[in-house]
Amino acid sequence: MNSQILDQLKREKILDLLKTGKRIDGRSLDEQRPLVIETGVIPKANGSARVKLGNTEIITGVKIQLDKPFPDLGDKGILICTAEILPLADPNAEPGPPNEEVIELARVVDRGIRETEMIDLHKLVLIEDKSVIGMFIDSSVIDSGGNLFDACSYASVAGILSCTVPKWEVKDDVPTLVEGVTSKPPIKTLPVSVTMARIGDYVIVDPTKDEESCMDARITITTNSEGNICAVQKGGSDGFTAEQLIQCAETALTVGRKIRKQFEQLM
Amino acid sequence: MMDVKRRYVIPGDVIATGPLRPEQNVFQDGDRMISTCVGISEIFENSVKVIPLTGGYMPKANDLVIGKVIGTSPLSWEFDINSCFVGFLPAQDVFGRDYSPTKDELRQRLDIGDLVAVRIANFDRSRDPLLTVQDRDLGKIDSGELIEISPSKVPRLIGKRGSMIQTIEMATKAIITIGQNGWIVISCEDSEGLLKAVEAVKMIDALAHTPNLTERVKSMLGVVDGENNDTIND
Amino acid sequence: MTEDGIRCDGRRLDELRNISIKVGVLKNADGSAYIEFGKNKILAGVFGPRDVHPKHMANPDSGILRCRYHMSPFSVTERKNPAPSRREIEISKVIKEALQPAVILKDYPRTVIDVFIEVLQADGGSRCAALDAAAVALADAGIPMRDLVSACAAGKVADRIVLDVNNEEDQEGQADMPVALMPNLGKVTLLQLDGMLKPEEFKTCMQTALVGCKRVYEIQRKALMEKYFQNGEQ
Repeated sequence: MNSQILDQLKREKILDLLKTGKRIDGRSLDEQRPLVIETGVIPKANGSARVKLGNTEIITGVKIQLDKPFPDLGDKGILICTAEILPLADPNAEPGPPNEEVIELARVVDRGIRETEMIDLHKLVLIEDKSVIGMFIDSSVIDSGGNLFDACSYASVAGILSCTVPKWEVKDDVPTLVEGVTSKPPIKTLPVSVTMARIGDYVIVDPTKDEESCMDARITITTNSEGNICAVQKGGSDGFTAEQLIQCAETALTVGRKIRKQFEQLM
Repeated sequence: MMDVKRRYVIPGDVIATGPLRPEQNVFQDGDRMISTCVGISEIFENSVKVIPLTGGYMPKANDLVIGKVIGTSPLSWEFDINSCFVGFLPAQDVFGRDYSPTKDELRQRLDIGDLVAVRIANFDRSRDPLLTVQDRDLGKIDSGELIEISPSKVPRLIGKRGSMIQTIEMATKAIITIGQNGWIVISCEDSEGLLKAVEAVKMIDALAHTPNLTERVKSMLGVVDGENNDTIND
Repeated sequence: MTEDGIRCDGRRLDELRNISIKVGVLKNADGSAYIEFGKNKILAGVFGPRDVHPKHMANPDSGILRCRYHMSPFSVTERKNPAPSRREIEISKVIKEALQPAVILKDYPRTVIDVFIEVLQADGGSRCAALDAAAVALADAGIPMRDLVSACAAGKVADRIVLDVNNEEDQEGQADMPVALMPNLGKVTLLQLDGMLKPEEFKTCMQTALVGCKRVYEIQRKALMEKYFQNGEQ
């Protein structure tokens, strides 16, 4: 049986080590776990990625299909990111409709990609107000080992970068698929999400599952290639000081640069 | 050494046919003795059994196990004992006869997440395992590191008359508490010794089915002596 | 299909697609397996035996088995709604009933064994491939089993009986018959058919599928041996 409760000895060890600036897995406070990205893992999808961030593992598939625009956004294509914790990923995950944690996860991933304007949605329009290209980016957590926010975000970005977009030609006001012609998606910038946890007075980057069970509060900050801060989500049942938050934003930018280099290699 | 025939098996493998007695992890189909798990089959003169290499812990009365407090009710603590059954430690076992839920606070003695060495006082299929801390060596564990190994490999970790565990403890100066449920707590003053002891325990978990394990553990720990010959398991 | 029986993907009539199975691929699950069966890519994870939630589902005399077959939104050509469809619910049920005869649950009263299957990419025959992975994951979790369960489909395409129908053949074909077998006990635990077969074709089709199941069994067996005994048989 696997219960979610962290044993007291490990909790004490995590807290004791932090006082000396160390972490239980030997990382420094602002160090991420190794990120491994593999793309093209689901050939039937238009784009896909399998991402490992430490013990956390995600599979993302991108489906691209003809769609109708939202009524008030007729000059933009559709972009929808979802995330799901599969019941095989975690002994505490349950099958059935998503709970509030999973919905938050999906929305934070979506917000990071949407608000950085990673994809130029205007370029996905075929006929204004009538016909657009829709991109569905579905992420599945297959092994949960902490910091699902960043892992799902990285898998979604990698999935999008690996995408080939089919070509539709408008003939007599009807979009028709042109077989065998594809293009890269219209990428404007590379979003990088960085999640930090506060445990006591210490803020650590990319918490593991054990560290998450000791944390007081959490923050996810997404930055773009130009160094802007584009999306933020604070979580957990305690808070941060303003100074801590400003420091977090700086950390998100510096840590983000390293991850962005990994993304650039996929382009 | 007794003449025992051993073989690697998976569920469904026919280990032997004939008038034999099926023991642990063996099921009888007509006169065929069939393995029900991944493990090592052993054919004795009259019986057949399989030592499993995977699977959970099935509570047995008198077993010493390590439990983790996962909840309390007014009259007892609930323990994760790495089994499909939740263990119960009655409040009276800790507070004594005059325990009163209005006066005594369970969580002040044992809180959620605490690791406790407990003994299984009673267990049968109709009720969840009843635990006790009424014995020396039992009670809350205040220091150390929890390592999880497969419960089926605990006998290997202990070794013949405790030889394996003594080897590790002597070489590393660590104190190792072994739960039959596969939960092991290792504590050591010296951080180097702790790392070595943890590595040795993990090595036994990974290589329990291989021969010459004692030798390999000794060479990893840097122990030199000539004693050898141990069997695969018992 | 050509005159001399070469199929659209280049296989002979009695040839399986490429199959590979990896055991123990998930860290959180008690047992797991990943199968690639042609273009099918499927993960299976097993949890348990563990406490039953909701409580009223628990059986005081025996453990229970639950099964969920689910397809990822990106697993098929048109994006699939992540909510379970009627097809997925039916397949979950037949997979559960195909595994049930193999698992031994009597020692685990009041508990549940959960089998979660995720189809990451679907091709024809995903329920058989899912079952193959699930059976291996159950063995990896150490759930006692009378036998493995091995599944494979046969069907009728262009008036000929073929083994292991792929997606294109399923679309164009005249019949598709998924079969699951407990290979050592010789019991068929899943049989479905859609299409039209003459009585003698039904017989050939089933026998063809059973031959396929036995070949799948060898691959399942090898995967388990590799995980637990590195270099296979002793």
